[in-house]
Amino acid sequence: MLKLAGITAGYGGTTVLRSVDLVVPPHSVVALLGANGAGKTTLLRVASGLLPPSAGVMTLGGEDVTRRAPNELVARGICHVPEGRGIFPSLTVRENLVLQSAKGEEAASLDRAVKAFPRLGERMAQLAGTMSGGEQQMLALARTYVQHPTVVLLDEVSMGLAPKIVDEIFEFLALLRSSGASLLLVEQYVTRALDVADYVYMLNRGEVSFAGEPGELADEDVFASYVGG
Amino acid sequence: MSEWLPFLVFGVTTGAIYGLSAMGLVLTYKTSGVFNIAHGTVCASAAFTFYTLRQVHDVPWPIAAALVVFVYGAVAGLLLERMAMLLADVSVTYKIVGTVGLFVAIQAGITLIYGDIAKNFEPFLSQDKAFGLPGVDVTYDNLITVVGCVLAAAGLAVFFRVARLGIAMRAVVDDPQLIDITGYSPVRVRRTAWVIGSSFAAASGVLLASNQAQVDVNVLALLVVQAFGAATIARFQSLPMCLVGGVIVGVLQKLISKEIGSQPSLQGLDAATPVLILFIGLLVIPRSRLVEVGRQVRARGFSSRAGKAYSWWYVPLIGVALLIPQLDEAHLFAWNLALAQVTLFASLHLLVRTSGQISLCHIGFSALGAATVAHMLGRGVPFPLAVLIAGAVCVPPALVIAVPAIRLSSLYLALATFGFGIALAAFAYGKSWMFASQNRPVDRPQMWGLQSDSRYFYLLLGVAVLALFVVTVVERSRLGRLLRGLSDSPVALSTLGLDVNICRVLVFCISGALAGVSGAMYASVFGGASPDSFNYAQSLVVLAVLAISGSRLVPAVLVAPVLLYVVPNYIDNPDHYKLLQIGFGLAAIYAAAASTGRLGSYFAARGVAAKDRLHGPAAVRVDRLRSAHLVRTQP
Repeated sequence: MLKLAGITAGYGGTTVLRSVDLVVPPHSVVALLGANGAGKTTLLRVASGLLPPSAGVMTLGGEDVTRRAPNELVARGICHVPEGRGIFPSLTVRENLVLQSAKGEEAASLDRAVKAFPRLGERMAQLAGTMSGGEQQMLALARTYVQHPTVVLLDEVSMGLAPKIVDEIFEFLALLRSSGASLLLVEQYVTRALDVADYVYMLNRGEVSFAGEPGELADEDVFASYVGG
Repeated sequence: MSEWLPFLVFGVTTGAIYGLSAMGLVLTYKTSGVFNIAHGTVCASAAFTFYTLRQVHDVPWPIAAALVVFVYGAVAGLLLERMAMLLADVSVTYKIVGTVGLFVAIQAGITLIYGDIAKNFEPFLSQDKAFGLPGVDVTYDNLITVVGCVLAAAGLAVFFRVARLGIAMRAVVDDPQLIDITGYSPVRVRRTAWVIGSSFAAASGVLLASNQAQVDVNVLALLVVQAFGAATIARFQSLPMCLVGGVIVGVLQKLISKEIGSQPSLQGLDAATPVLILFIGLLVIPRSRLVEVGRQVRARGFSSRAGKAYSWWYVPLIGVALLIPQLDEAHLFAWNLALAQVTLFASLHLLVRTSGQISLCHIGFSALGAATVAHMLGRGVPFPLAVLIAGAVCVPPALVIAVPAIRLSSLYLALATFGFGIALAAFAYGKSWMFASQNRPVDRPQMWGLQSDSRYFYLLLGVAVLALFVVTVVERSRLGRLLRGLSDSPVALSTLGLDVNICRVLVFCISGALAGVSGAMYASVFGGASPDSFNYAQSLVVLAVLAISGSRLVPAVLVAPVLLYVVPNYIDNPDHYKLLQIGFGLAAIYAAAASTGRLGSYFAARGVAAKDRLHGPAAVRVDRLRSAHLVRTQP
């Protein structure tokens, strides 16, 4: 279980998150909603260790992991698919997958990745940066499958992709969930995110404005939070 | 054919060593984004360590070699990684200033320990004949060197393709944060790259010293030049191509040295070969292929206080300056040198601080100016006109350097200028149209008793004030505003319809011309111009000293020459002077690292960590100090 308590964080002199509390229970999907600049990406960066919070505590399965380096958090089961394309464009697909997989499990990981995304199997020797956007996102998502994470942080993974690919990605997320991982989901397709979510957090200007189950959230509130009000 | 063969064999051997060095250089540059100008001095320090172990302490060579490559190289790599870390967040210009500081520090350190003179280095590999080719015997020495370098290149290539850490090293170039959330510590990955790179540097230093049978810091420090010649052929990207590039540089160099043996007018061209390759590379390689590694960081913007706030200080300052000939007669000569160099520092300040460019060949421009003034005076041209011509002469070479390099970026400008300074020293200094390795007389004007140093002081002071005035006018003019805009946001300037490259070239030419004037005045203080006064490495020292002298025009260009010429004059012990130079170098690294305020936040973070460690009493201690009036309370 990932637990953030009283997290305050920002860049340089700017504070983005103010005393945010958030819990990702085991085997669940948590959707994180909010307008542009609300602090969703920042929150995920804090959770994966990329941005050390200036105040607050983060625990993972009871252990205090505040200000741990991102690579240490990966070993403890956190997996972050960052905004944009989380791949190394100048490496081949195979090399990307090798880096993602645990030591000694490279062959098994390649199999798993190809099983989840057969298209990657055809492109093993290709440079990752030369693939289409959807294929790149599949490669980025493959890490969530080969690293055996307990908590997966997904930042706008459907952004800029064709609707058909988005469907595939949501299918994959369902698969991922059934494999036992919890997901913390930042999504632009709000209704789709709410469909799969067990819990919803709404961020507004760096503060949690709503926390609860999707059913409790009125459509007007969602709308208001996105367009301001 | 057989007359060429010996040169080919030597060329391939030294070329393989250049390639080894270039691989180390490119590896560290690619993974950290810091191009180590001091790479050659790292090679040199390793060669000297080997020399000490083997020839002073009689350690058997295999053990000495293993210690130097695996222990010394590794430790140097770890230290360099720390430095690269500090420089990670500063602009390219200051990254270069930082490694220039390292160059100055290591070079001064080596001469402090071993002296200036080359040491005899006993070759440690067998010089026996391995097999014969028509006209030349290939020795085991040649064979082992080439095979070793090829194996190193092949090993590295395989490591990068197959090993996870090797793949991670390539990945860290793409995105260090992503490698972190993929489960690898970017610091560890970079550290490994620096350790490998420095081990390669150490090995290449030892091999080159053995190849030349001498260990000389001035020769080995130039290994960075051969390395970037080789790296140009590899487009600063491909590691195996570095080896090929190294061999091409080595072979070309030997072939040219054979061809020019009978032509004194081309002497020194072989030493300039890697520089020529760099220039050709900068001209022909498409811009998109020479992208710079690492995050692009703007230099910190102009201080808003720049301007008139402290200008009333200048009145008493000039008053004190006027009294110097009376107050400090014993060191007047040094004061004169310093005043002559105010112009140099003003020109460098204009370039580095105002326009965010860089030059590692300003002493080369000075040398051109000095040689020109000597020739002009020899032909009866009046002194003021000769000085102006000395400045004008520097404009065409400045154009030639700046135009190909500026369309790329600061890094390539730094390499081009560094290369130009070295090529000038190797090729042109010895020619009759420059110094011809003799002291060419530069007579002071025959009036107002300027022959005496105390009178000449005032003329130099006048020229220095004039140079400061010129630079101030340029900074306040439209060009100056454009330059400040350029360092703030080149994109915004382009969208306004201005060609930023023309501004850059223009300021580079103005700066070069001022440097030429300073060289002329400098030579006139000595009464003559000789190659020894214009060592290429001095360009780096000058830059390092400028970096530590503050960021505002007037204080910086006054403090820097005093630090460089007057302070050493008070030091009688030459060793202490070397220590001072080491200090300049280290301080320049610090100044570079502090240029974006990163160092400040680093110390602040350490302070917070230390406070955590002490479980709170920090606040108590601060209170105690406050009550003892040791810490000023913030209002």
